[in-house]
Amino acid sequence: MINIEPTLDDHQVMQFIHNGYVTLERVVDADFNQECESVPGGHLSDFVLTDKFRRNVLLHPEVAGVVRSLLGANFLVPTSAHHHLFEAVHRGQTWHSDGLTEYGYGITHLQCYYYPTAVKIEDGPTMILPGSHHRLVDREAIAHYGDILGQLSLTVPAGTVAMTRYGIWHKAGPKLNPNRRGMIKFSYFRTAMPKRDWVRDSDEIPPYQHAGRHPYVTEVESYRERRRGELTWQWLCGLTEVEEPLPPVQMFNSGIPLSEIRLR
Amino acid sequence: MITIAMKGETLVKSAIKEWLGNCIEKLNTGELTEIDLRGVTTALNSQKQLILYLYSKSTNPRSPIGGWALYDATAPDEPVLPSQDAPYTSVLEAVKDGWRIVQFPRPELYNFTDVDNAYLTYEFILEKFV
Repeated sequence: MINIEPTLDDHQVMQFIHNGYVTLERVVDADFNQECESVPGGHLSDFVLTDKFRRNVLLHPEVAGVVRSLLGANFLVPTSAHHHLFEAVHRGQTWHSDGLTEYGYGITHLQCYYYPTAVKIEDGPTMILPGSHHRLVDREAIAHYGDILGQLSLTVPAGTVAMTRYGIWHKAGPKLNPNRRGMIKFSYFRTAMPKRDWVRDSDEIPPYQHAGRHPYVTEVESYRERRRGELTWQWLCGLTEVEEPLPPVQMFNSGIPLSEIRLR
Repeated sequence: MITIAMKGETLVKSAIKEWLGNCIEKLNTGELTEIDLRGVTTALNSQKQLILYLYSKSTNPRSPIGGWALYDATAPDEPVLPSQDAPYTSVLEAVKDGWRIVQFPRPELYNFTDVDNAYLTYEFILEKFV
């Protein structure tokens, strides 16, 4: 099996539990970014299966290192993706999470956004709401939400990959110009129950450190986030027996085990 | 706060300018009548509803705001950049500026559990006529 080294330590895993995302800026090579700029919008399968897409994006050591840290060793590598391509001026999407809930305490599904081209605020960047990945909502019932304190516009340099816990609230932001703005979205999935096998200094499991309150969160909501974070941490460290469906439902994207991939 | 007040004012000014332009045109052609002159009252009385959602950190209208959305049917249908500056510091500040509360958050609608968060709390809906 291709060797993928984990890259996150205890503190970074706890930060991911709290925020629901991590961004890796400029990780993809400039030449490959340029190649991806001309990829058509819509569903992608053949392109995602190429060795060059796997080497440059899916199994890039920094990208796959985060996946290895959060989803364990033999995770499912994406075999399909969707190129979200926007050109016309538009008001932006409404806040939503994709698909259904995947509501458990675990981290079993990472949804990733790859930006081949730099995205400025006028280009309609993807917006995410840190900490919203555990909020169980009907997407049509939050469509009237507007600005939220702490929302984040992913204005990023070319070659950035943002990696999110499935369920995080997101949307395409308002777009003020007709420039091409692309984002290739794909997902990795967990296949086995977790253990604390990311980067660590010792075998002693540290207690979960709650990172504080997101700006839009009320006091009692913050207590709940702390409790949920503790439960997720314990689950990731293999301290609880709560079962999650593994691999989780693959509603939009598919994958194959890392162990079955051979790069030429 | 200023932006929302200005939108209403701009709307009325624009309607009056249009009315004035029509009157001058008719004056120059000798067609101006009393009915035309009284038409300004239509512009002055025109009222459009603005809707403002405010997400208060508690059911107390003095609490700070965590999110907001303004729906203005009179504004042009154009993209607007996101903002991190709430239009008001609290629901009460909005009321002070002339907004009327049309929906108060009802605590029994917010499910209380020890672990799970869901929709943004606490949703006040306000209206203003401009």
